[in-house]
Amino acid sequence: MNSILLVFAGILAVCLPASATQCNVNPVQIPKDWITMHRSCRNSMRQQIQMEVGASLQYLAMGAHFSKDVVNRPGFAQLFFDAASEEREHAMKLIEYLLMRGELTNDVSSLLQVRPPTRSSWKGGVEALEHALSMESDVTKSIRNVIKACEDDSEFNDYHLVDYLTGDFLEEQYKGQRDLAGKASTLKKLMDRHEALGEFIFDKKLLGIDV
Amino acid sequence: MKMLILAVSCLLAITGSLAADTCYNDVALDCGITSNSLALPRCNAVYGEYGSHGNVATELQAYAKLHLERSYDYLLSAAYFNNYQTNRAGFSKLFKKLSDEAWSKTIDIIKHVTKRGDKMNFDQHSTMKTERKNYTAENHELEALAKALDTQKELAERAFYIHREATRNSQHLHDPEIAQYLEEEFIEDHAEKIRTLAGHTSDLKKFITANNGHDLSLALYVFDEYLQKTV
Ligand SMILES: [Fe+2]
Repeated sequence: MNSILLVFAGILAVCLPASATQCNVNPVQIPKDWITMHRSCRNSMRQQIQMEVGASLQYLAMGAHFSKDVVNRPGFAQLFFDAASEEREHAMKLIEYLLMRGELTNDVSSLLQVRPPTRSSWKGGVEALEHALSMESDVTKSIRNVIKACEDDSEFNDYHLVDYLTGDFLEEQYKGQRDLAGKASTLKKLMDRHEALGEFIFDKKLLGIDV
Repeated sequence: MKMLILAVSCLLAITGSLAADTCYNDVALDCGITSNSLALPRCNAVYGEYGSHGNVATELQAYAKLHLERSYDYLLSAAYFNNYQTNRAGFSKLFKKLSDEAWSKTIDIIKHVTKRGDKMNFDQHSTMKTERKNYTAENHELEALAKALDTQKELAERAFYIHREATRNSQHLHDPEIAQYLEEEFIEDHAEKIRTLAGHTSDLKKFITANNGHDLSLALYVFDEYLQKTV
């Protein structure tokens, strides 16, 4: 009898997630005409959130690689672990924006997935910086596509989101890309005739140590 | 003469098993040969029998992966409680904090994996049996606290499991460094968090049962305000 009850309670719990039980307050209705985001814009924002999460995982793998004893580049490891945390924050910023616009009242669980990063080793610092740079270029391209989706909707041009993505996100992308490109150039020049020593010195520079 | 040293160091290399000058012997061996490459296979951070017996090394990787997944699960709950309908800033803050902590632990465990001379595999599963379905963020307040409590227990019990594997009475499996890492960075903190969350569920339970349930809507509001100020 007890087990039947349990099964029944289980079914109830699965079937009636949002409606009232003795444990929660009834959902209320309030006007919805302030919720104006359109479907294609919303969907491309959701995809962008997943992309930021994916980037955070790929940067984690880079941090892990440069932390290895046989690689031993703590400066690069720190750079990439920090980048991973920044990507996670980008995902959170986009989520915050959706919440501000009245989104994410449902379909929250399907917003993101944690999949193992595709790549786990790099020949050296240059290769990793170049990989990071091309990853950021992909992200930039993808943000531009979100902007298009939110601006081209014939019924609703989402000026504010477009402005936010352009002003905040693209700005950060372009600055970040310039930074990575500069680092890759300096490192490549440094390693021209002094491969091992060049990378060693650059790594310590990343840690803030002058050698 | 050179040949003799080589032969002797080769012999040493084969016979010396546990940390007996193995990197030094690699150096003696490889430096004697004129070539552009140095292999030095045993000049690494691996000691004890980390990674060569038992499952402590792989469990530690799986533990990083678990923290990573739970960190993003918690993030979704934080988002859900911050939409205009739920609008529970305190609950959102609670989950955001759990997410932040799980995220920084992820990085910390990855660093520890490499500290012990290993590499991180993001696809590493645990051998500990778990029954866990996909995470649902769309929960009401008590459900969400229950999920958080269960999840914190999952993290705590996994730490116990790895600790047990690392302290088994066998010369091949005993790894006090991992045991102490878990104790120092995880185990005490887990007890604290579990107790706090269990306390929260007790409070909500009282609100639901008292006064024929008439207190609930006001109680949830007050409790959320309390979380905003204390988390
Ligand atoms: Fe980003």
